[in-house]
Amino acid sequence: MDGPILEVAGLRVDIPVDGSTLRPVRRVDLTVGRGETVAIVGESGCGKSLTALSIMGLLPRSARPSSDHVRLKGEDISKASPRRWRKLRGDRIAMIFQDPMTALDPCYRIGDQMVEILRQHRSISRSDAQARAVELLGKVGVPTPEERLSQFPHQLSGGLRQRVMIAMALLCEPELVIADEPTTALDVTIQAQILRLLRDIQRETGIGLVLITHDLGVVAGVADRIVVMYGGEVVETGTCDEVLGAPLHPYTEGLLRSIPVPGETRQGERLGFIPGVVPRQSGEQTSCGFLKRCPYAMAECAGGPVAIRDIAHGRGVRCLLPPDPGARDPGLWTRFETEEVAS
Amino acid sequence: MANSTNIAPLSPGQLAFRRALRHGGFWTGGLIILVIVLAAIFAPLLTPYDPALQDLTQRYIPPVWSEKGTWDHILGTDNLGRDYFARVLYGTRISLGIGLLTLLISGTIGVSLGIAAGYWGGWPDLVINFLITIRLTLPVVLVALVVVALIGNSLTLLVLVIGLLLWDRFAIVVRSATQQVASREYITSARAIGSSTPRILFREILPNITGPLIVVASIEIAHAILLEAALSFLGLGVQPPQVSWGLMVAEAKSQLMFRPWMIAIPGAALVLLIFAINLVGDTVRDVTTPEGKA
Amino acid sequence: MAAFITKRLALTVLVIIVTSIVAFMLVHLSGDPAAAMAGEGATDADIAAVRETYGFNRPLYAQYLDWVAKLLQGDFGRSYYLRMDVGDVLAEHMPITATLGALALGFALLLSVPLGVFAALWPNTMIDRFSLWLAVAGQALPSFLFALGLMYLFGVYLRWLPISGTGSWQNYIMPAIALGYYATPAIMRLTRSGMMDVLQSDHVRTARAYGLSPWRVIIKHSLRHAIIPVVSLAAVQLGFMLGGSIVIETIFSLKGIGYLAWESIQRADIEIIQAILLVIATAYALLTLVADLLNAALDPRIRVS
Repeated sequence: MDGPILEVAGLRVDIPVDGSTLRPVRRVDLTVGRGETVAIVGESGCGKSLTALSIMGLLPRSARPSSDHVRLKGEDISKASPRRWRKLRGDRIAMIFQDPMTALDPCYRIGDQMVEILRQHRSISRSDAQARAVELLGKVGVPTPEERLSQFPHQLSGGLRQRVMIAMALLCEPELVIADEPTTALDVTIQAQILRLLRDIQRETGIGLVLITHDLGVVAGVADRIVVMYGGEVVETGTCDEVLGAPLHPYTEGLLRSIPVPGETRQGERLGFIPGVVPRQSGEQTSCGFLKRCPYAMAECAGGPVAIRDIAHGRGVRCLLPPDPGARDPGLWTRFETEEVAS
Repeated sequence: MANSTNIAPLSPGQLAFRRALRHGGFWTGGLIILVIVLAAIFAPLLTPYDPALQDLTQRYIPPVWSEKGTWDHILGTDNLGRDYFARVLYGTRISLGIGLLTLLISGTIGVSLGIAAGYWGGWPDLVINFLITIRLTLPVVLVALVVVALIGNSLTLLVLVIGLLLWDRFAIVVRSATQQVASREYITSARAIGSSTPRILFREILPNITGPLIVVASIEIAHAILLEAALSFLGLGVQPPQVSWGLMVAEAKSQLMFRPWMIAIPGAALVLLIFAINLVGDTVRDVTTPEGKA
Repeated sequence: MAAFITKRLALTVLVIIVTSIVAFMLVHLSGDPAAAMAGEGATDADIAAVRETYGFNRPLYAQYLDWVAKLLQGDFGRSYYLRMDVGDVLAEHMPITATLGALALGFALLLSVPLGVFAALWPNTMIDRFSLWLAVAGQALPSFLFALGLMYLFGVYLRWLPISGTGSWQNYIMPAIALGYYATPAIMRLTRSGMMDVLQSDHVRTARAYGLSPWRVIIKHSLRHAIIPVVSLAAVQLGFMLGGSIVIETIFSLKGIGYLAWESIQRADIEIIQAILLVIATAYALLTLVADLLNAALDPRIRVS
């Protein structure tokens, strides 16, 4: 195995707003190996989408990204020229967006949009490009792909459009695909199909896949590794089994408590929730970012920003608690929630 | 629900007013308009000359800043020796007078039609929409010229014609504003407690569409002033001995080659007034729609 | 789509019929056409004679129906002043106004669409402020003043262009600019706001995320969308320009429909006046129809469904 496909170190994004500065992404490290699926999980506003956009170089104009490095197969792309960026995007990194209803241009036929992308990056004849588009549409399970080429996006269902987006992402055989909430806008029944498709494609082609989602339920069975983000920071990393089976960070624990487990959660039983709201991220950090919502908060937690701790290879947590979930008292959550409801 | 009827019409308006006061354009435009209005009212005090008084010994005196100018006639005199400054001053009266009077007519027609269409919907809406389409299909300048030329010139007719032509924007904007307001909860609740229709229209709906109404009023008053100037320029608007800026430009047209200031002076007065009105109108639009959507 | 077109066509026909009635009434109710035609100092007997000759003593509806019946046969009536068929007079002046309108619209689009695009691409920069300033100034400057200003600058001061006349192509430049300038603020604002919206949209982000070149993103994937409402606005503006051409053509003595209208109004040549009213109103009605149909044709979501 020759090195990871994507290495992100010390990524931060600042957005100046009315004199102060929002810091929606503070310190993010991320590594995606060849043939690996990494899920970035967190609530809305935790900075996961901005992380994806800054890897793509697609941040809004007002945002100011900085990083130690963002390497794509060893090449630092964080300081790439706009021209270089255009060569990379669509060709070596591709992105699948949340809402397939609006992500395709309504004015052009599916085929034209796919051919345009292919011909932007490859010197290939129109008919060859069309053949490639048909091949990929077939591969992602679009029925009668030849006919779809001459259809407009509004003539396709949401699930089909997302399949088209996936085919578009695969057109130039990229090394890395970033899927930003690819199933959130779809019906539940379609969601599972699209996720399965993404997993199969990933296994077949060996690309690196970054799956961004707020839904922990989505990642089981798809992701190899999970990166949990909170308040613009990575708070926990580990394999899928490690994070879902034995969460170390109280935030991950809270997230998992809020998901009903088939067979275990009984009818009428109250699901857990994390009290409080995601704080607005501006200014420098003076404590652990999760302090105000954490049932295990200790005096040390207010002492300053918490560094990430490496427990094992690829396993890290940004928390001062001992990395032993069994030693914690789950009753603290219940008491914490009750206080929140009461206030 | 109960108190929303009292609070809703007031607080957004006050908020908008406060925001307007912080706007530079509002002050600039407002100040220019104030000066022009005062000039129109106190014209006789500001100049000793009668704007219609001819003095053929004093023809074509250039304004004071040119070499042959004199302080007796600050802006010079025209082809009949009439004082240009006095003419510009008195022209203010015509512009403002026509603007305001036509606004009264066009506003009344447009607002009534717009509210009726927006409030009742259904066939009144269809009919009024058709009326608006017909009105838009008729070319304004041409129709005004035809009517004024065929019936015969008078200020009253001019005001009537312009007023009867420029109601369309009022109707369009008020119609959609009313539609929005009428669907809000406090109107539904006013209907439910049995308020009479006129009461709902005047007490609930009208106060809630003042923002767009002021914006349209500013556009239409400017439009009316420009239309009067254009008609007078074409010789079919205000007639001598009355003074109008458009008429002054028309009379000076032959002097374009040698005395361009004779066109520039009334022209500048006209542009300044329209600019100030637009500035105030734009400010009101900005502050009543904070999202910047028209 | 077919139902939409049918409905829209029916409305246009209805609008044209009603405007023809309004145009006819305006001309016939605004004073006594016979007296106007007989001229100043005419005796009652003279006026009565004119009334008899031209059929003004018949009921109005009969005169209207007569006019319409002739119109449908392509007969626009006869000008008592020019002693020519109105149709022929119109045919002579029409191409000039049509040329002027096309040039004016071309000028307006060439100026305002690029300005609107650039203003949207770089908001709050020099170019954005310049175009905004241009729009504000354009709205405050009456067309006849702007025309006189152009005349002074290019005709008197620089002596580049002829001040008035109809003879050569140079006679069209200033009138086209003066008429077209009037439409630029509206087109520019619409282009700018449309582009601002589209540039924020998801599909433009997709286009950028797939490495398409900036001009492809701007022209093909952004302007293509923003231009849809602009096209229909442009058609409507062209209709307004035809109506507004009277002022501009009069100033520059460009002998199109507008100039003809001004002359005919002064001669009380009512057959020509009502024909011009009808022609301009019909042109406007047809242009708005074209605008709506173009709008539908340009948007695949409406066209293909």
